[in-house]
Amino acid sequence: MAPSFVEDRRRAALEVYESQEVPTWRRSGFWTTSLRGLDVDALEPKRYDSLDSAIVRDHLGDEEHAALIVQQGANVVHCDVTDERITVMPLEQAVEEHPDLVEEHFAKRLPYEEGKFPAGTAAFWTGGVFVHVPAGVQIEKPIQAVWLIEEPGTVQWAHTLVVVGENAECKVREYFLAPDFDGQALHAGAFELYAKPGAQVHLAHYQDWGSGDVHDLSVRRVEVQRDAHVKWVPIHLGGRLTKQTLDIITAEQGSDMRHTGMYFTERDEHLDLFTTDKHEAGHTTGDTVWKGALTGESRASYEGLIHIVPKAPEVDTYLQTHQMLLSPKAKGDAIPSLIVEVDNVKASHGGTVGELDPEQIFYMMTRGISRAEAVRVLVEGYFEEVVQRLDDPGLEDLVRRRISEKLAGAEDQVREFIGERAEAS
Amino acid sequence: MTLEVQNLHVRTEEREILHGVDLVVKKGETHALMGPNGSGKSTLANTLMGNPSYEITEGRILLNGEDLTEADPDERARAGLFMAFQYPATIPGVSVANFLRMAVNAKREEPIKVKEFGAMLKEHMDLLKIDRAFTSRYLNEGFSGGEKKRAEILQLAMLQPDFAVLDETDSGLDIDALRIVSEGVNAMRGEERGFLIITHYTRILNYVKPDFVHILINGRIVREGGSELADELEDKGYEFVREEVGAGGA
Repeated sequence: MAPSFVEDRRRAALEVYESQEVPTWRRSGFWTTSLRGLDVDALEPKRYDSLDSAIVRDHLGDEEHAALIVQQGANVVHCDVTDERITVMPLEQAVEEHPDLVEEHFAKRLPYEEGKFPAGTAAFWTGGVFVHVPAGVQIEKPIQAVWLIEEPGTVQWAHTLVVVGENAECKVREYFLAPDFDGQALHAGAFELYAKPGAQVHLAHYQDWGSGDVHDLSVRRVEVQRDAHVKWVPIHLGGRLTKQTLDIITAEQGSDMRHTGMYFTERDEHLDLFTTDKHEAGHTTGDTVWKGALTGESRASYEGLIHIVPKAPEVDTYLQTHQMLLSPKAKGDAIPSLIVEVDNVKASHGGTVGELDPEQIFYMMTRGISRAEAVRVLVEGYFEEVVQRLDDPGLEDLVRRRISEKLAGAEDQVREFIGERAEAS
Repeated sequence: MTLEVQNLHVRTEEREILHGVDLVVKKGETHALMGPNGSGKSTLANTLMGNPSYEITEGRILLNGEDLTEADPDERARAGLFMAFQYPATIPGVSVANFLRMAVNAKREEPIKVKEFGAMLKEHMDLLKIDRAFTSRYLNEGFSGGEKKRAEILQLAMLQPDFAVLDETDSGLDIDALRIVSEGVNAMRGEERGFLIITHYTRILNYVKPDFVHILINGRIVREGGSELADELEDKGYEFVREEVGAGGA
């Protein structure tokens, strides 16, 4: 029996989950994210004995790690820690072995009341990931966590808790992977990271759920404490329907964050992201850049909020978001917004939705470069700013390779789109 | 070996701009195509390169006998045609050096060796008095007018086309930049290459002496001659040609 702080929360959350309808999210009248097509009751938390997945090797390569933990379906199937200074284990196990440390942080920023699926995750999570980097420990190699959905019919209720101690330094990467399959699956995830005073954290979330009917409903929150610095890089490269809330909170004086996100949607994928750059204390800084590209009949909405609360003066932050449409049937939105409840801060934001410029393509073609190559180069050039901000060579190569592959797959529709636009101009 | 334009009629969405242009540029020759604003000069340049914003309704474009009227811009480039743009596009995220390597390789079977490319680049940059640091900047991003024109001529030098069209390369250049760019062009002239220099003013022609001059007004070539025609134009302006040909067929 797990400690009461876990069990009591499960019980309370279950009541919320059962009392609430499956939500539909609507924004500004015309943007709707609906789970109508998802049959949650038909899914089950599948358990596995051991890890046997080509897709994990394919994405992680043979890069050395400080720790690697893999949850497939409902349970952790692999965990190895090569750096003995840190703790990485299933959250279920951490609850038993490090109850005080877990209780101090667990769900501090993740209220189960905030929705049906956050409540579901709080009630049903199994396995889980726990990472603790003690104060003063500096590790070079990444700590890697993988969430794997290997077959359709799977529901994965996920919870990750990361605690980075005072003045500790580390890289944490989470991967969300599935092979291409026919059929439905759901990942409903909760992620929380606490960067203690003076900590330096490099955090990445890499999502590619493949071409299956995988739904991802997740909430991720990062708290940056006094004089700590967090670089956070969420990357979305696949998923039938993704609805995520990504918040980074500079909670104490001197805390600083850099948030760099990107997405590439294709086919009939639907991506709905809401990020908040929240400043809860004065003298904090932030810098957010999100870029996306859309192909096929995909839909992508990115809404980014800067929120500066009262009593948080001398904040300096900005947010930019850009979106590029590469297909006549794709539709997108990129909306920056601002809530500032105090004077004496610097906060600015900007957003664009654009298309490839036929004049750029013409220019490149006059140099002998084919249309397909010109498009590839322009889209890669568009993403290059954010790829360089990943500041992680292994991940940069992976992202460049995947974008290049996706563009090759979308070549015909991009050509058709550019042709239409050139004639219309 | 020739670049040949036969009875070219070109239109945009709104209206016809070129009303039957004939032009023959042989290898080894330098032609100037002059005309006032709105005469159709840039339309001709863009049409030669296959800009999809312009539609050819009649006539042909031949390069070394090969009909390129319907060819895509990249096929024309690989066939040996080049244009230095009046307003080159910005290519974010792609450095000058990477862009040049891509363009050079587009014309080759095997990719160029790193060392060979570096040597070639250095030679042409020295000629055009371009600083080393220039090559790592994103192409045309934040470039001054003069830097853009130099980057165009650097591409010309690296790609060594059979025929080069220079669209208003002299516009927006101060006298020093004009001299450097002109020297670059002169170094490229020779038996193996033809030039079509499109310009409003005679300035550049003081540095790059043309063998032939054509005057384009209202989408038609109305006068042709040797380099003395440019001198005459310098003295008397376009009005004299207009009067002579009777309002240029407007």
